[in-house]
Amino acid sequence: MSNLLRMILNKNVFFIYFSILLSVSSFGQEIVRSSIDSTYTEELDEVIVTATRTTRQLSSLPLQAHIVTNKEIKNINSLRLSDIINEQTGLTIVQDHGDGVQMQGLDSDYTLVLIDGAPLIGRTAGTLDLSRVTVGNIQQIEIVKGATSSLYGSEALAGVINIITKNPQQGFGGNLGYRYGTLNSHDISTTLNYKKNKLGISGFANGNSTDGYDLNESDDLQTVDPYHNYTFNLKVGYDFSENTSLSLSGRYFTENQDYIPTEDLAGKNRINEWNAHLKFNEKFNEKWNGYLDFYTTRYKTDSYLNYTEDDSYYSDSFFDQIMLRPEVRIAFEPSKNHSFIAGVGWTHESLDRTDFSNKPIFDAPYVYLQYDSKPIENLNVILGARFDAHNKYESQFSPKAALRYEITDEIAIKGSVGYGYKAPDFRQLYLDFTNSTVGYTVIGYNRVPNVIEELEEAGQITTIVAPVTEFNGNLKAENSLGFNLGIQYKPSTSLSFEINAFRNNIHDLIDTQVIATKTNGQNVYSYININEVYTQGVEINTTYRPSRNLTLSAGYQLLYAKDKSAVNAFENGEIFARLNTGSPSFHLQKEDYFGLYNRSRHMANGKVFYNHPKSKIDANLRITYRSKYGIYDTNNNNYLDDYDSFVDGFAICDLAMNKTFSEHLRLGFGVDNLFDFTDSDYITSIPGRLIYVKLNINF
Amino acid sequence: MKTFKISILLAISILGLSSCSDDDDPVLLDVESSQVTNLHAEQTSDYTTSPPTVAGEFIKFDFSSGNTTESSTDWDIAFRGTSILVNGGEAMGLVSEPERTGEAAAYIVDDTFASVLSISEGSFVQDSAEEFAITSGSGNGWYTYDSTTHIITATAGKILVFRTADGHFAKVEILSYYYDGDTSNDSQYYTFNYVYQPNEGVTTF
Repeated sequence: MSNLLRMILNKNVFFIYFSILLSVSSFGQEIVRSSIDSTYTEELDEVIVTATRTTRQLSSLPLQAHIVTNKEIKNINSLRLSDIINEQTGLTIVQDHGDGVQMQGLDSDYTLVLIDGAPLIGRTAGTLDLSRVTVGNIQQIEIVKGATSSLYGSEALAGVINIITKNPQQGFGGNLGYRYGTLNSHDISTTLNYKKNKLGISGFANGNSTDGYDLNESDDLQTVDPYHNYTFNLKVGYDFSENTSLSLSGRYFTENQDYIPTEDLAGKNRINEWNAHLKFNEKFNEKWNGYLDFYTTRYKTDSYLNYTEDDSYYSDSFFDQIMLRPEVRIAFEPSKNHSFIAGVGWTHESLDRTDFSNKPIFDAPYVYLQYDSKPIENLNVILGARFDAHNKYESQFSPKAALRYEITDEIAIKGSVGYGYKAPDFRQLYLDFTNSTVGYTVIGYNRVPNVIEELEEAGQITTIVAPVTEFNGNLKAENSLGFNLGIQYKPSTSLSFEINAFRNNIHDLIDTQVIATKTNGQNVYSYININEVYTQGVEINTTYRPSRNLTLSAGYQLLYAKDKSAVNAFENGEIFARLNTGSPSFHLQKEDYFGLYNRSRHMANGKVFYNHPKSKIDANLRITYRSKYGIYDTNNNNYLDDYDSFVDGFAICDLAMNKTFSEHLRLGFGVDNLFDFTDSDYITSIPGRLIYVKLNINF
Repeated sequence: MKTFKISILLAISILGLSSCSDDDDPVLLDVESSQVTNLHAEQTSDYTTSPPTVAGEFIKFDFSSGNTTESSTDWDIAFRGTSILVNGGEAMGLVSEPERTGEAAAYIVDDTFASVLSISEGSFVQDSAEEFAITSGSGNGWYTYDSTTHIITATAGKILVFRTADGHFAKVEILSYYYDGDTSNDSQYYTFNYVYQPNEGVTTF
């Protein structure tokens, strides 16, 4: 089992923090512009499409949202999406079968991740690995917090992250970026761009590789094995007329990683992912706009392991998920203060993977409607709802309401309440897996009656813990009601302050539970709607720009994330612990319950961005902190309590500097994890100090 | 294996209850709290066969003497690996399984050791052909197995209550499964606290 864990860690751990390199490509024109632009105007210009599926000014939005601009990405010399997400207030990257984002205290499973509005797939165990995404061709990253299933359906329970990639720019240009750093890490990116009249084309390519690293010298294994990956992106846009446009984009990602879980076994992990997105837009008149989207994507992994000694077969596995989604959307704006958007679409998904006895297919048609209005001068109200039908689980109705009221020019109050859900995934419904070395079995909900019958006939079952009849219905979608209430205060153009309180009540959380015991002493597990969980907290963000060349920002999140049945169990005195092995057990008190795993009570960040126009040098220093968290029930009472071992709180400090020599040349230097923080016991994803240099050429 | 006996006169309360009645009261024996350390319950497993062949002698323990015993009848519970069987009920058909000759039974209660002050007669079960009274498997009985660290922990708050082969009662809290309670040492060494009620028919501790 430790081998299994090790494999998992080796597989993907990797990328977190592991800012190897990544030159951020950009166009020549932009570089010139950004050094001229004042920061003030940039802020006014910030618009976001994710929150409402229409273009909205970020600062006037009634929802919790944040934008990471291309300029920030470029200045911090970031490489992978996970690097940037980890620096944002209230977000942290959690390593669990990949680098997943934790948002408002909810796991990666509950955050929808989009590229240009279309979902990324490939959650082999729930986590969507953000290190898969290079930031080389990103225009901006839009983050919307709070349940947003009213627009996006499943998975948008904690929120949505939308990666907006660059569109072809006017003229002909190109860019070459290269970053080299510690761990023999290379990252090379190139962009070619052409746009004239009606036709625009941009192509992007990125290659990323590293030797990996080893935090634990006591064995012959590496903490993270070497890997290399490539990303290719092509976008073609054609404007038939002022009112009619078409765009087609395709993206391909491939990664190869060594896979050496033990000293006796060696193999490879391979990921192949592609997506294609066709968008057609027709502006009928000033009031009516029509959109047609066709999206398809495939995520595929293959792994194998052979014995090192004679290269003979040990094991292999695969995962092959395909999604197809057509959608039609109509926007109607009868007047300046009222707008509607409506959409209808259909999602078709299939998955073929190891340990599945069949190849399940999901079909889910959906329809949604949103009304955005300003009934009076200072008030903005958004009402929306979506209905998702599904062939394998209960249909979902997801309403949402949000409003923002400007009390004065400086102070605004905003609040929202929304329903979010996450459909049971293929694994939770169809898995049929028996661990070959330990002997336990995990069965998907829909497979329970059949598999239990087979096991009983084979004489492998000792006792049935949960009767098979409990598995006759449908597994319910995990769902939540999310509340956000915030105040924005902007006393001057240079100072802004925002505070937001949130609460997410999650019902029908799916968890594994023992359903039978086997004659080999092991258990049979399945998935069942069992838990009620809540996450609540407060997020604070402030930005201060004392001059146009200096920006200071700070963010903080307070978080309580707890399982309601655990709270009750502690209150009822049903939970015990020992001070150490050999000492008698004692009752734990209510206040001894720490909460869910991997949640820090406090997370904070501080950033300083400085630009020296005369020397054309920009520099920044960023600190991210998270307080102690538990990853493991060390005293084995099934709950995370104050007597368990915790990962100590820590801070990571990153420094980046860039000098622009001309319109064509920019050089960078930086140190990620300046103080060389590592924790070989608990955190395999932080490799220690990484020093790099970066070159960027525009043509 | 070492046994410590500490007389802590838990019987006072029992005596107190009956002290107002007449002078014919039988003299009750003291209830003693004891600790057994490093009881070695070796089990071997041969994984080259399918299913694996599990073997080893069951180490029998007698509460009244507070010692392990070789006796074929005068024992209450027996240990092998993580398995604990009682001298009462049906055989499961294991290799080296001792013959059950007594009336022993058991149940597990969630509580602290000190808080278990009386037995619950209706909760007792005996070993059966399918399952031990002290159910086996991680999380099902007295221990939790961590599949990452491979460590077996005596689950906190699991108190084992026994009826002995001859109808007395005892309560047990297992503390550790490792030699000297150190998980870096060899496993299959039990350390446990127990209280034995030596007085016939007395159902309190």
